[in-house]
Amino acid sequence: MKLVESMFPFARIPYGTWGSSYFPGWQTSPLAEVNIGQFAGEAMANILGKRKVRRKELEYLVIGSTVPWHWKFWNGPAVASCMGQRIPGFQMEQACATGLSAVIVAGSEVNSKSYDVAGVLTFDRTSDSPVGVFPERRSYRRTEVIADVWDNFGFDPSTGSSMLSTAGMTARKYKIDRAEVDELTYLRYKQYFDTKKSGFLDKCLFSFDVLNVQGRLLGTISEDVGVREISLQTLREQRELDTCITSGTQTHAADGMATLLVSSIEKAKELSTRPEINIEFIAKVDIRTGPGLMPEAPGMAVKKLLDRTGLTLNDMAVVKNHNPFAVNDAIFAKTMNYDWAKMNNTGCSLVWGHPQAPTLTRTLIEALEEAVDLGGGFVLIFGCAAGDVGTAGIFRVS
Amino acid sequence: MRSSTLQTLGLGSIIEIFQNGKLPVTAGELVDQVFGKAGNRGALVITGANGIVGAGKTMQLGSRLEPFDIPIIALDFPGVPDGIAKQYPGLVKAFGKGNANKVMGNIIKYSYDGKTLPKALASHNPKFLLEAIPEILEIKKDHYKAFRESFPDIDIWSVTSGFPSSQLGVGIAHPAFPHEVNKIWEIVESTPSSSSKLLWALGLIPMQVSDNWAFVLDVFFCGLTGAAARFNETTNMPYWKIDKYIRKYFGPNPFRAHDAIGAAGANFLTWSCLHHLGQHYGELFTPSDNMNEKKESGSNWYPLDHFRPMVDWSMNEEETAEFDAWILGPLFQMTSLMLHENRSHLSQMNLIGELCAQFRKGVLALIRHYGADAARKIVSDYHKLQPEAAKNAWYPKEFDKIGSPEWQQLYVNAEHDGKVGVISINRESYNHDVNAELNRAIDYLKSAGIENVIITGDFHISTQMVGADTTDFFPAIEDANKGIELSKAWSATARRLHTDFKNSVGFINGKRCLGGFLELMVHCHYLVAEENAALGMPEVTLPVIPGMEGCHWPFRKMQAGNYQNLLKLILSGKSVKAKDAVGWLIDYAGSTEDSIKMALKIASGGDHGIAKRAVNENPISDIPNEIAGLENNEDEILSQARKALLDCIKNSCNATLSDAISIQAKHSGEFMTTKLCKKGVIGSTYTKTWQV
Repeated sequence: MKLVESMFPFARIPYGTWGSSYFPGWQTSPLAEVNIGQFAGEAMANILGKRKVRRKELEYLVIGSTVPWHWKFWNGPAVASCMGQRIPGFQMEQACATGLSAVIVAGSEVNSKSYDVAGVLTFDRTSDSPVGVFPERRSYRRTEVIADVWDNFGFDPSTGSSMLSTAGMTARKYKIDRAEVDELTYLRYKQYFDTKKSGFLDKCLFSFDVLNVQGRLLGTISEDVGVREISLQTLREQRELDTCITSGTQTHAADGMATLLVSSIEKAKELSTRPEINIEFIAKVDIRTGPGLMPEAPGMAVKKLLDRTGLTLNDMAVVKNHNPFAVNDAIFAKTMNYDWAKMNNTGCSLVWGHPQAPTLTRTLIEALEEAVDLGGGFVLIFGCAAGDVGTAGIFRVS
Repeated sequence: MRSSTLQTLGLGSIIEIFQNGKLPVTAGELVDQVFGKAGNRGALVITGANGIVGAGKTMQLGSRLEPFDIPIIALDFPGVPDGIAKQYPGLVKAFGKGNANKVMGNIIKYSYDGKTLPKALASHNPKFLLEAIPEILEIKKDHYKAFRESFPDIDIWSVTSGFPSSQLGVGIAHPAFPHEVNKIWEIVESTPSSSSKLLWALGLIPMQVSDNWAFVLDVFFCGLTGAAARFNETTNMPYWKIDKYIRKYFGPNPFRAHDAIGAAGANFLTWSCLHHLGQHYGELFTPSDNMNEKKESGSNWYPLDHFRPMVDWSMNEEETAEFDAWILGPLFQMTSLMLHENRSHLSQMNLIGELCAQFRKGVLALIRHYGADAARKIVSDYHKLQPEAAKNAWYPKEFDKIGSPEWQQLYVNAEHDGKVGVISINRESYNHDVNAELNRAIDYLKSAGIENVIITGDFHISTQMVGADTTDFFPAIEDANKGIELSKAWSATARRLHTDFKNSVGFINGKRCLGGFLELMVHCHYLVAEENAALGMPEVTLPVIPGMEGCHWPFRKMQAGNYQNLLKLILSGKSVKAKDAVGWLIDYAGSTEDSIKMALKIASGGDHGIAKRAVNENPISDIPNEIAGLENNEDEILSQARKALLDCIKNSCNATLSDAISIQAKHSGEFMTTKLCKKGVIGSTYTKTWQV
C-alpha cells in the first residue's frame, strides 16, 4: 500500500461500530409512517447496543438529513435524546453528498481534538414528502408550494432542469450506449443478490421492529423492500425515459438510516471488536460540473482526489459509487478508463435505493467491510449530488 | 417448622391464638397504652403532613384512630400546598361520605416555621410524633429537639428516613407506598413496642427490621432500579423496554413506578438511597451516571408522549443471560447482604418485595427457585460485568441455608402441640410456591403423627385470601397441558386436606376468601369463618374455569336443595357473607373470637355439635341446567363464560370423585387457551406483560 498522509491523522473509524437499516422503497414500509428523526435516534442506540458500544461513549453527534422532518428545528439534540443520550449535535446536509460529508465533519471534530468520540447519523424519509409553503414575492403566484422530494427532483433552480434530464444529457455527451447501460445494470443487480445470498449484508445491516403509537408491532424493516431480481431481457425491453434512462436503469426513492462512529486512535481500539483494524481518513473533495451534467461530476471528483493524493485507481482495493443512474458508472468507466465490472461489488444505490442522506453512509459501511474482507487497502467511495456536484473520499483500511 | 412472623412482634405464635381462643391483643388495650385512657387521651402529631408520606399516613391512621377519639394534629409549613384535602375523594370512596367527614373532622391543622412549635399544640397533649419531613439530617434533629423540649415523654418515629435509627436518635418506621392504602410498615426496634403492636391491632402490617442503612423494600426497589439503570447504560436498551422485561420476568416496573410517583421526587429518593448505600457498602449500590443525571434533572424515565417508543428491542439467548446477570445478580447479592445482616424474618423479607415492589415471586423465593449454586453463578456473572461490586457486601455462604425451614417455608408454616396442627399461609394468593410449601407442611404434620389440623391465614401478613395467583396461569394460555397439569397438581394438594387428616378445619378470618383459596378450603372437613368475611368464586368474571375442583367438590358435600345457592355463587361471581353461607358452603360463622374457639374445638375433637359432611363419591346427575336471578345476561362474554362453567360443573359432577379431578382439570386447562379467556382479564394481562 502506498504511503499517503491522512487528512485527519488523529481520527479513526472504529471497525464494526457501524450499521444501517435496510432501505425499503418509497411508501412500501412502516418507515413511511414514522418520524424518521426519532426512528434514526432509536435505531442508532439499538445498533450500538448490538455492537456492544455504550451510547454514553458518544460526546457529539453529527446528523445528516435532507428531507425535513417533524421537529427538525431541534436537529442533533432532539435525535440524540431519542437515542437516549443528552449530547450536543450538529445537522448538516447537501443532498446525496450528505452521507460522506457527515463522516468528514465528524472526522474533523475528532481530529481537532474537540471530542474523542463523535457519532455520525444520517437518515431520510422520502415517503410522504413534507410540503412546504414559501412566500416568494418575486414569483407570479406570490406563494410557492413544493413537495420537498418530488418537486426538487424535478427542478434544479440553477438550471431549470430535472435530475433525470441531467442523466440523459450527459449520456448523450459521452455517447453512452443503451446496451452497455442495460448490461451494467444487470450486473449491478447480480452483485447485490449474490452479496445478499453470501450473508455479507448481515455484517452491515440491521432489522428493526417498528411500533405504532399503541406500542404494537407496525411492521419489521428487514429487507430492501421493492428490490427484485431482474433479467437482462426485461431491462432491454423497458421504455427509454431519456437517453439510456429507463425505470430499470435508475434508482428509486427509499427510506432509511445509517450510522457509524468516528473516534480518536485510542478510543477506536477500545470501542472496536477488532482493535487491530485501523481505518483512516485519507482525503475528500467535492467538485461541481457544468449545468445539467451531474453524472460526469463523480468521475471528475475522483480524478481531482487522485491527483491530490498521488494515488491511482489501481491502488484502490474497493471502489464504490453512489449511482442513481446506471449511466453514472458507464460515464465514470469511460472517463477514468476503468472497468465498471470491478466496482460496486457488494451492491449499490442504483439497486437498493436512494434515501439521500444515508446513501453514501451505507455505501461507506459496505465498502469498509469489503476492504476488511479483502485484507485491507484503500477504499474509494464517490457519487453525484443535486446541483451537478460530485463528491469523493478515500479511506485506508489496514 | 419455623417461627411465625407474628412472634417477631411479640404477639406469640398462631397456634397460641387458637389455644387462647382469642387474638393476642386488642386495639383498645394498645390505644390506652400509647395515647392514654379514654377521657385523657393524647394526640398523634404528624409533621410534614401535606407531603406524600405525611398526607397518606394522616389518612391511614386518622381513619383507624378516629373511633378512639384520638386527635390527629397535622403540622406543616405555612403556604405548603394542601396535601390532605387531596386525599378526601379517596377517603369518601373507601369509607363513604359520612365516615370520611368524620375522619377529616378529627384532623387539626397547624402551621409552624420549622423551629418554634405552635403554642396550642400543648393543649392536645401530644403523645406520639410521626415525623415525615424531608430527609435532611440536621433539620430532622432540630425538629426532634424542639418536640422533646416541649413534650419530654413523646414517642417519636421518623417515617421518611433511610438513616439508621442510631444516626437519627429516634425510632424509625418505613411505610410502603402508596401510603394511604399500603399496610406494610418496616419498623426498627430492639423490642416490639406498644406502638408497633397497635399498628397490628389496627389491621396494618408492621414488620420488625434491623437498624441498618435503608430498609428492606428500599434495598430491593432502589437496588433494582439501580441495576436496571446500569443495564441501560451498558446495552443502550431504553428504560421503557427494560421496564417491560423486568415486569415480564420478575413483576415490578421500576421506571414506570418512578414516573407514576413523580419522577422529580422519586428519582431523588432512589438516588439518595443508593448513594448512602453505596457509601456504606460500595459499588454494588453506587448510583450510575444516568441515575445521577435523573436525580439532577428530575425527568421521567419513559419517553414523552410525542416520542412514544418506535423501535422495539428484543433479546437473544446471550443477551437474556446478560440481562439476568445485570438485574438478578445485584438483587441476589443485595439479598445475601441483608441475610448476613439478619435484617428481618425471611418470610417478611421475601414478602416485602411482593407486597410493596410488585415482585411476582419474592426475591428469596426466586433465589430458592434457582438454587444456591445457580444463584451464586448469576452473581458471579454479574461480577464479571461489574468487578468492583464483588469487593464488598457479598455473602455467598448465606445461600447454603436454602435447605432450612426458614427458606423452604417462606409462605406456609406448620405448628402443632402434639394433638392439633395449625397450617398458616401468609400469601394472599395461591401459587406454585404455596402449593409446594403446603405439601411440605402437610408432610411435616403427618410425620409428627398429627391427625387434626386447622388451616388458616397467618394473622399478620395475609389479611385475606384472594384466590389463585393468576400469573401462574400465563404459561397455560398458550399450552392447555400446562393448565391441566397445574389444575391436577393443585387439586391433588387440596384433596390431601380431606384425605390425610382425621379432622381438618379451614379457618377464614380475613376480609375475604375467594376463588382458588375457597376451593382449597372447602376440601377441609369443616369450614369456619368470621361472620362478615366475604366468600366468592369470581372466576366467571375473569373468565376462567376453576381449577381446584370448585365445580364439583362443594356440590358433593351439600344437599341437592342447596345446589341453586352454589350455582349462583359460581355463575354470578358475586360473594356472599360467611354468615349467609352456613349450612351449604361452610359449617360455622361467628365473631372472630367465637370462630377461633370453634375452630380449635372442632380440631381437638371437642363437643362442637357440627356434623361432618360426607363427600359424595358417586356421579351427581341432577345439577340444574339453569338458575334464576342471574344478572347481566345480555353480556355476551359473561354468558359464554357461564355456559363453559356450567358445562364443567355438570361434567365433573356427573363423574365419580376419582374421575372428576381429571375432568375438571381438562375443562380448566383447555379453557385457558380459548379466545374467551384471552380476551378477559387474565388473557389481556398476559398479553400486556408477557408479550413484550
